[in-house]
Amino acid sequence: MFDTPKLTINLAQKKADSRRRMLITIIFGFGLFGIPLLYFTGMVGIEKINMLGRYMCYAIMAVGLDLLWGYTGILSLCQALFFSLGGYAMGMYLAHHGGPEGIIDANNWKLPACFYVVYPYKVGELPGDALVPWFWKPFYWMPVTLMLGLIIPGLVAYLIGWFGFRSRVRGVYFAILTQAITVAFWLVFCMNNMKLCGTNGLTRCNSMLGFEIANENFKFVMYLVTLFALAGVYVLARSIINSRLGRILLAIRDDENTLRFLGYVTYKYKLFIYVIAGMIAGLGGMLYAPQMGIFTPANMEADKSILVVIWVAVGGRGTITGAILGALGVNLLYNFFTSEKDFILFRWQPEYWQFVLGLLFVSVVLFIPGGMVDLGKKYKDLIKSIMPGR
Amino acid sequence: MARICIPLLIVLFILSPVEGQESDAARDAGLRELIMGLASDSRDVRRETIHRMAGTGDPRMELVLEDFRTGRLILHDSKMVIIGGEVVYDEDYVEYIPLSDLLTRDPIAGLDGKQTMTPINEVEKVAASRKERRLISRVRPLLRLESKEPDVRLAGVKKIGDSPDISGARERLERIALEDDVHKIRHVAHESLALMQLHESRQSGSADNAISAINKLGELKTIRALPRLTEVLEEWPEREDRTRVVSSIQATIGVIRDHQRSVKVVSNIYQGLSLGSVLIFMALGLAITFGLMGVINMAHGELMMIGAYATYEIQRLFMHLIDQGVITQKAYDYYYVFALPVSFLAAALVGYIIEILVIRHLYRRPIESLLATWGIGLILIQLVRIQYGDNIGVNAPSWARGGMEVAQDIVLPYGRTYVIALCAFSLVMIWALMNRTRMGLLMRSTMQNRDMSNSLGVNTGRIDRFTFALGSGIAGLAGYAWTLIGGVTPDMGQKNFIVDSFLIVVTGGVGNLAGVICSGLGIGITTKIIEPTEIGGNTVGAIWAKVIVLILIVTFIQFKPAGLFAPKGRTADV
Repeated sequence: MFDTPKLTINLAQKKADSRRRMLITIIFGFGLFGIPLLYFTGMVGIEKINMLGRYMCYAIMAVGLDLLWGYTGILSLCQALFFSLGGYAMGMYLAHHGGPEGIIDANNWKLPACFYVVYPYKVGELPGDALVPWFWKPFYWMPVTLMLGLIIPGLVAYLIGWFGFRSRVRGVYFAILTQAITVAFWLVFCMNNMKLCGTNGLTRCNSMLGFEIANENFKFVMYLVTLFALAGVYVLARSIINSRLGRILLAIRDDENTLRFLGYVTYKYKLFIYVIAGMIAGLGGMLYAPQMGIFTPANMEADKSILVVIWVAVGGRGTITGAILGALGVNLLYNFFTSEKDFILFRWQPEYWQFVLGLLFVSVVLFIPGGMVDLGKKYKDLIKSIMPGR
Repeated sequence: MARICIPLLIVLFILSPVEGQESDAARDAGLRELIMGLASDSRDVRRETIHRMAGTGDPRMELVLEDFRTGRLILHDSKMVIIGGEVVYDEDYVEYIPLSDLLTRDPIAGLDGKQTMTPINEVEKVAASRKERRLISRVRPLLRLESKEPDVRLAGVKKIGDSPDISGARERLERIALEDDVHKIRHVAHESLALMQLHESRQSGSADNAISAINKLGELKTIRALPRLTEVLEEWPEREDRTRVVSSIQATIGVIRDHQRSVKVVSNIYQGLSLGSVLIFMALGLAITFGLMGVINMAHGELMMIGAYATYEIQRLFMHLIDQGVITQKAYDYYYVFALPVSFLAAALVGYIIEILVIRHLYRRPIESLLATWGIGLILIQLVRIQYGDNIGVNAPSWARGGMEVAQDIVLPYGRTYVIALCAFSLVMIWALMNRTRMGLLMRSTMQNRDMSNSLGVNTGRIDRFTFALGSGIAGLAGYAWTLIGGVTPDMGQKNFIVDSFLIVVTGGVGNLAGVICSGLGIGITTKIIEPTEIGGNTVGAIWAKVIVLILIVTFIQFKPAGLFAPKGRTADV
């Protein structure tokens, strides 16, 4: 008796799924073949490629959030924090290997240039007893950095999740709590005497694994690496969703209490997906730092995390394709609207972007709760309602 | 007593006007004569003149000395006058200086009845040398001692103790210490005397003298003596009396430090109270709307900002009216009273519009409402930023400056007191509205069971709009109150308040006034107590205090997930 409706839902779902899969294949295909073609024929410059690479890092972070929000129903405003923790890990590696040569401390460690620029001494005023702090040292080696860049966000996510989910903090309460935690982290990272380079951030990065990060070829390779990482994250997310675990996550989203009464320890599942999402964001941050060449605490400000939510909402909550599409789309929009340009009647100023963003927030919530991937269906519904015969 | 006094007063009353007038005129003439000494070529005469001017104790002399110091004194027709306004140019770009009288400060009328002007190249400026400028700032407190204004007198008395080498100061201080009407001034005079004694004993090297001064300072608990005492502690020569002096200084420093600490604790608690009051204002509106409509309003901080900017606009309006001559300068102070309803209404109006346009589509969808209202917040911030720029200044009205000294050195600022009182008053009003009026009844019923109320004929949509506007108006009041305490920027709400006030709602429990009050005051005071605490020689500071409070809240939620005052029930969802 329950089978028949379920079957139809599955059919509709499958149709939508295959449409989305086609869409994502087109996106990846274009990223892999189209963009390089345009680049090698000279139609797009390396700056655009680099920009796309960075936006794909954002997309990786958005996929993590979609796993949480779209599939498990947890709104977390910590995503930019995890992104930044990964970014800081890679940034510290870059800082170790960047900057002018020369300043060696008593233990034979080279002091990162950005370190003594900001705290606590100016260039050339460094006293002899300044040392590289212990927590900077592991980031000297690439493999350790890669590991820590995933482990640290995962660990922080574990702690936050453990405290939050175990005491059943839910919904907006959890969102507010995570936002407060992000703000606290941001404040601490901005402090000069934390030896994390304060608001200046990690600067003077110029080489990674022996390659110049300003080099065009390096940037192009980083673009490809990010593309593959994004594809990998997409595959990972899909395999999680299609597994039995994914079913449980969906069940948590739809009715956590019933699941709990059935004997599932829901907070463990939530914790697991939260840690996974944190690590995915950390990966995005690690890829972002070398492409940006600088990593500042501005990346973990409170509004950055909310931005991730809006990317997912715009693209389509609850579909991985939507998260990727939304992150890329909104950022391209941002890129378009934050330059001065003349329209017919008035002059567009970069600061008007906030209005566009604000309206985007409001209109997505009010008018297209399903996001961009749902637009096609909406359009069809509209046609149907006008012309029922077709 | 009265039998002797009354006739005496009558006699004095009869005598005084005539006597006063005559002596005033004569004294003014004498003063003018004296001031002419400043124009002398001899350095000694000028110095002597400054000393004698200070000796007159006439408060007007302070102004003249200040003019002398800043080079506004000029010699015109062998009379001393001051520059009385802006330089004026004629068609040939010759600069003219308007002149005013020395003592009365009134413009000097020329033959045509207008203010006398003189070309700039014909005047002789009477300027002070560097040494004389220093001398003036040293002797200036002496003049203040005679002032009729208690505040000025107090400043003078205090200043004299800080630079204890002015001749003739001691006798007057002693007289003030015994005779002044104001207790505070007598107290400060005693302190200054003890400081002077300490200074003298340092010069003469008399240990007994020094110890008696030090003990006196300890009895008076003079905080400003601390740097002086540590100086003496370091500089007292190595003699057999050093141990005695050192031990008495250390005892005194201990006493004063204790006093200082208790003063600090009280003022921190008071700051926490006023910060907590603003946070309560913010959290109240949030708690009401969340409890009633299940809507998270992230634009609440921006409504607060609108309240602050409404206050600023009213201030500008009053300034404009003064410029136009519609109201007098005195009325300016009332702008703050006038801004109270305006800021409330402005924020309430914006809230009402937001409700109609967006919020009412989002009932019971807290997460979506969070996103949409964040977007509204972005738009409001950007609108205000484009209109006003990044920083504006709201000046506290004169009655909100300064503070009330409830005990020695414990000053409770009027501004913060006003904020606390306003918060208490609003809480009472809101409580009365919720529990004693028909509207409140309807609000509570809608909050408890929307569908049931609706079917019983309550217009829940209207109730929602009213409640949302009310909550927004209260946020506007928060912004209004905040102008007395802190700075006003377009993103003040988003940066500083929204997260904190939500944490208060979470900690206090939703839809509960008592919970909001307890957690608001608790978080405010805890923050302000943690901030100045020292751990291992380092002050905790604002940022770590915030982190610590957050950790406390997270730990607290572990034990009470639904907040302090959780709604009782059997629901599985908390």
